[in-house]
Amino acid sequence: MAEEYLSDQEIKRRNTTHRIKVHSLQLGFAVLLMGTWQILADKKILDPFFYGRPTGVLHQLKVWVQNGTSIGSLWVNAWVTFYEATYGFFAGVILGIIFGVFLARNKTAAEIFAPYIKVSNSIPRVVLGSIFVLWLGLGSISKVALAFVLVFFPVFFNAFQGTREADNKLISNARLLGASKRDVLRRVIFPSALSWITASMHVSFGFALIGAIVGEFLGAQRGLGLLIATAQGNFNPNGVYAAMVLIAIMALSAEFLITKLEDRLLNWRPTQVSGSEL
Amino acid sequence: MNSGSAVKFEKVSKRFRTPKGTWYQALANLEFEVEAGQFVALVGPTGCGKSTALTLLAGLEQPSIGKVTVNGQEVHDIDTSTGFVFQHDATFPWMNVYSNIAAGPKFRKVKDHDALVKSWIAKVGLTGFENNYPHQLSGGMKKRVALAQSLINEPSLLLMDEPFSALDVQTRSIMTDELMGLWEQTKSTVLFVTHDLEEAIALADRVIVLTAGPAQVKADFKIDLPRPRKARDIRFTPEFLAIYHKIWNVLRDEVDLAYQRQLIAPSGKK
Ligand SMILES: Nc1ncnc2c1ncn2[C@@H]1O[C@H](COP(=O)(O)OP(=O)(O)OP(=O)(O)O)[C@@H](O)[C@H]1O
Ligand SMILES: [Mg+2]
Repeated sequence: MAEEYLSDQEIKRRNTTHRIKVHSLQLGFAVLLMGTWQILADKKILDPFFYGRPTGVLHQLKVWVQNGTSIGSLWVNAWVTFYEATYGFFAGVILGIIFGVFLARNKTAAEIFAPYIKVSNSIPRVVLGSIFVLWLGLGSISKVALAFVLVFFPVFFNAFQGTREADNKLISNARLLGASKRDVLRRVIFPSALSWITASMHVSFGFALIGAIVGEFLGAQRGLGLLIATAQGNFNPNGVYAAMVLIAIMALSAEFLITKLEDRLLNWRPTQVSGSEL
Repeated sequence: MNSGSAVKFEKVSKRFRTPKGTWYQALANLEFEVEAGQFVALVGPTGCGKSTALTLLAGLEQPSIGKVTVNGQEVHDIDTSTGFVFQHDATFPWMNVYSNIAAGPKFRKVKDHDALVKSWIAKVGLTGFENNYPHQLSGGMKKRVALAQSLINEPSLLLMDEPFSALDVQTRSIMTDELMGLWEQTKSTVLFVTHDLEEAIALADRVIVLTAGPAQVKADFKIDLPRPRKARDIRFTPEFLAIYHKIWNVLRDEVDLAYQRQLIAPSGKK
C-alpha cells in the first residue's frame, strides 16, 4: 500500500526504465531476426544468390553511398522518389479534403457524383500508372500523378465521412451563436472532420511512396524504383533490400512528422494510446 | 396585446418519422402565447415534447402544421437574437473554456470582448479553468460553460432546456439566483424547461403544464409571488407551498399517464 504520492523523479525514472526495456527488447528482436538470416545464408540453407544476406545489404549500401549507383548518385535518386511522393501526397491531401468537404456539404452534388466516384474507386488505380507514363512521359510528372491518384481517394472518403459525421447539434449551436457559413465550416465542421482526415494521412504517405515507386518501375530515368528494377534485372537481391531500407526510412520519417502534426492539431482530444505505443 | 406577444404557437403540430417508418406525433395543436419580458417555465412528463417545442422556436425544425412566431415574425430559420441552452452538451470539444465562451462575441465580431468573456468565466465560477477542454471538465462545469456561452450574447429570447439538471444543489441555487439577477436587469423573454417544479415556481411568472405526448397545454398558472425573489428562501413560504400543490395535482396525472404508457410500451410489441 502506498503511503505517499510517487515523486516526479520516481515517475520519470520508472518511465525511463520501461522505455529502455522496450527498446532493448526491440533491438534484441531485430538482432535475432538478422542473425538467423545471416547464419542461414552463410550455411547456404538460404541461397544468398537469391535471398541475399544482411552483410551483403550493408555492403551494397556502403558501395552506393561511396561510389554512387549504376544510375547516378544515390542521394539524387532517393531525392527524386521522395519529392515525387511528397508532391503527390500534398496534392492528394489538399484536393481530397476540398472535394470531400464540398461534396459532403452539398447533397445534390454528392448524389450526382456518387456513381462516378464509386466506379473510379473500384478500378485498381495502379494500372493508371501505365496511362500516366504514356501521357506524361518518363519524367517525374507521371509519378507525381500516380502518387496523387493513390492518395486522393482515401483522403477524399475520410474527409467526406468526417464532414458527414459533424454533429448537427454543434452546427446549430454555432449558428445560434452567430456563426456565418464560413465560421461553421472553419470552426465546427473542419475541426470535427480533422481526426478522420489525419487518420487517412497516416496510410496516405505510404500510398504516395507506392505511387512514386511503381511509376518508376513502369518507366523512368531516375529514382529508387528504377534502382530496384535494375537490381532485380542484375539478380542482385541485396540491391533490392538496400533500396527497401531507404524507402522504409522515408516512410517512417514521414509517419513521425504526421504524428507530430496530428498531436498538435488534435491536442483537444482525450489522450489515447497512439499507434507508436501499441 | 396580440402583436405584443414575444412568442406565439398557433395550432402547432409536429410529427417525426420513427425508425420503423411510421409517424410519431410529438405536438398536437399546441397553442400558447408569451408576452415580451415574461419568464415562463414549461413542465410536463418526460418525452412529452418540451424540447421539440423549443427547437421550433429556435428555428432548428419547422412545424408540420401551424405557425410559430417570435416577436411578430414567423420563424423560418435560425435567428441569432435567440439564445438556446441545449439539454445535452453542445460545447465545442476542440475549444477550451475561454474559446467556447468567447465563441458568440467572436462570431458576432464584437470588438474587445476579452474583459466581457473573463467576467462571464468568473460569473459561472470557472476562473482558473480557462484553458481546459470540455473533456477535462465535470458535467456541471460543462453545463456552466454552455450557460455562459449563450447568456454572454444577451439574447432577447432565451430558450433553456433543463439548464441546471446536471448541477449540484448548491451550484444550482447560486445559478438560479444569478439567472434571476440577470433576467431582472435585461428583461428578456425566457422559456425555461425543467422537471423540477420547485425551480419552475421559484423562477417563473407563469408555469405552463403540458400533457403527456403529444403535448398540448394542460394548464397555465400565474405565479404572483413578489419579486425580487431569492429562490433559496421562497420555497418555505405558505404561498409557495399552496401553488406547488395546486400545480403538482395537475401535473401528477400526466406524469402517471406517461409512466403507465412506458410500462405498457415494451410488452405492447407483438
Ligand atoms: N428527431 C426526432 N425523430 C423522431 N422522434 C423524435 C425526434 N425528436 C423527438 N422525437 C420524439 O418526440 C417525443 C418528444 O421528444 P422531446 O425531446 O421533445 O421530449 P421532452 O419533453 O423534451 O422530454 P424530456 O423531458 O425527457 O427531455 C419523444 O417521444 C421523442 O421520441
Ligand atoms: Mg427534452
